[in-house]
Amino acid sequence: MSVVARLDEARAARRQKTLIAFNAATLRLGGKTIIENLDLQVRPGEFLCIVGASGCGKTTALRLAAGLYRPTSGSVTFDGEPVTAPRREVAIVFQDYGKALLPWRTAAGNISLALEAARVPARERGARIEALLRKVGLPGHAGKYPTEMSGGMQQRLQIARCLAQEPSTLLMDEPFGALDAMTRQGLQDEVLSLTQASQTTVVFVTHDLDEAIYLGDRVIGLLPHPGRIGIELDIDLPRPRDQLATREHPEFLRLRRQLFDFIKATEH
Amino acid sequence: MNRAAILWRVASILVAGSFVAAWQLIADLRLVSPVFLPGPDRAWAALVRGFSSGDLAGKLIGTLEHMAYGWLAASIAGIALGALIGSSKVMRAYVAPSLEFLRPLPVSAIIPVAIAMLGLTQGMALFVIAFGAIWPIMLATIHGFAAVEPRLYEVARSLQMSRAAIIGKIALPSALPDILAGMRLSLTVALILSVVCEILAGLDGLGQWVLLSARAFRSADLFAGVILLGATGYVTSIAVSLVEQRLLAWQTAAR
Ligand SMILES: Nc1ncnc2c1ncn2[C@@H]1O[C@H](COP(=O)(O)OP(=O)(O)OP(=O)(O)O)[C@@H](O)[C@H]1O
Ligand SMILES: [Mg+2]
Repeated sequence: MSVVARLDEARAARRQKTLIAFNAATLRLGGKTIIENLDLQVRPGEFLCIVGASGCGKTTALRLAAGLYRPTSGSVTFDGEPVTAPRREVAIVFQDYGKALLPWRTAAGNISLALEAARVPARERGARIEALLRKVGLPGHAGKYPTEMSGGMQQRLQIARCLAQEPSTLLMDEPFGALDAMTRQGLQDEVLSLTQASQTTVVFVTHDLDEAIYLGDRVIGLLPHPGRIGIELDIDLPRPRDQLATREHPEFLRLRRQLFDFIKATEH
Repeated sequence: MNRAAILWRVASILVAGSFVAAWQLIADLRLVSPVFLPGPDRAWAALVRGFSSGDLAGKLIGTLEHMAYGWLAASIAGIALGALIGSSKVMRAYVAPSLEFLRPLPVSAIIPVAIAMLGLTQGMALFVIAFGAIWPIMLATIHGFAAVEPRLYEVARSLQMSRAAIIGKIALPSALPDILAGMRLSLTVALILSVVCEILAGLDGLGQWVLLSARAFRSADLFAGVILLGATGYVTSIAVSLVEQRLLAWQTAAR
């Protein structure tokens, strides 16, 4: 085998291990540098969490990955191709579920939107919608309008609509930020079980350091002004995670300490 | 219907009833000469007579036609233009000042222009009615399209929806409450302008009926026409409200 061929193979193998890549990505908006020289690789099937102080650029980084923003310089690639626009295999779960759902469509109608966009034939939609509602724990709520549902149910519905896209990647921006602690823990476990089984890649932005460690394979801490990586932690906690056992694990407490110290140092 | 709603309904019927009774009393006491003011009994008799032996039904249909054609033309053009202007920030910036100039212009001011250009014709009536009725619809549509939640457009982009699907499934339904409110407002405008055009151009309709009855001092017929106009406004407005309630059922679902 020639050297060139071997090099190509090595490069292909490396590319295979990266699904989303930020390569020295910089974004300026309104004369302000919001993200600077961000280098970050997300592996396929990985659960990556991003934490950081408010306003440090977490949402902006996610929007770059989604193709809702284009980098001013550098590049963002998905599966080796530059990201120029949103794509159907990448689903975005917005924090403000109330604004992301269509208030004039029922739960079933909201999920149907994604199926219609993917040109799923009308007669197949009903069964798919049923299955998705069951998957996110909303069976029997097909006919309800979003305004008739609690916050947790609305966020479940948005997740169901994202799953209807059959995404290989989920980008989630503080999806549980507005929910109470009990609902949040339930949804954390649901998202884990939904994504681990299907090997879905997840980039998960959160304010909650415990949540980041509990969910992630890796946690990235961003530094503000401009946004860049300040800390990177590999989370070697056993899976499946458990709300009590994982949170009492000595490694969990150690990582938690490390992350808290980092965040405290960035806020003053 | 709950008890409060029933009470309100009963109260409104009582008010209307006492209004008719007062009218009858004034007529019977001849406080106003019967040449000018017929009682409700005579107005009602004239109404029945107009339908059974006269051509009141034909006049009513004439007015309904003018109103409907003008209103529909205004709705189609108003929604299309409003969507075009409202969905683009650039268009809004360019066009909004001109609209602000044109909007307060009384429609009566363009009637002579329309007559000069189109003559005393059905076409003139259609133009005037549509021109007057388009404003509430167009302005409401512009507002509705401008106020679409930006997050929903991002959802649409991430689903890679087509432009037509974005307009049909996101923008239009989101703007629909505004559009329907505008259409209900312009219904009244269309009725008023239908009568004005019928009077000015002598077109077949209730406007002409009212005018001719007044000229001939047939006050009972005159009142019959006026009552019919009021009923037309009331019934058409209720019809649109019912459609509105049906289409916007989702708005009341939560409350
Ligand atoms: N469209 C924009 N134009 C100009 N500046 C912006 C824009 N969007 C965001 N910013 C700025 O960029 C910075 C990062 O914003 P971003 O929303 O990414 O932060 P974040 O980490 O998600 O914050 P939070 O935790 O509060 O959600 C902030 O200082 C914000 O003011
Ligand atoms: Mg944010």
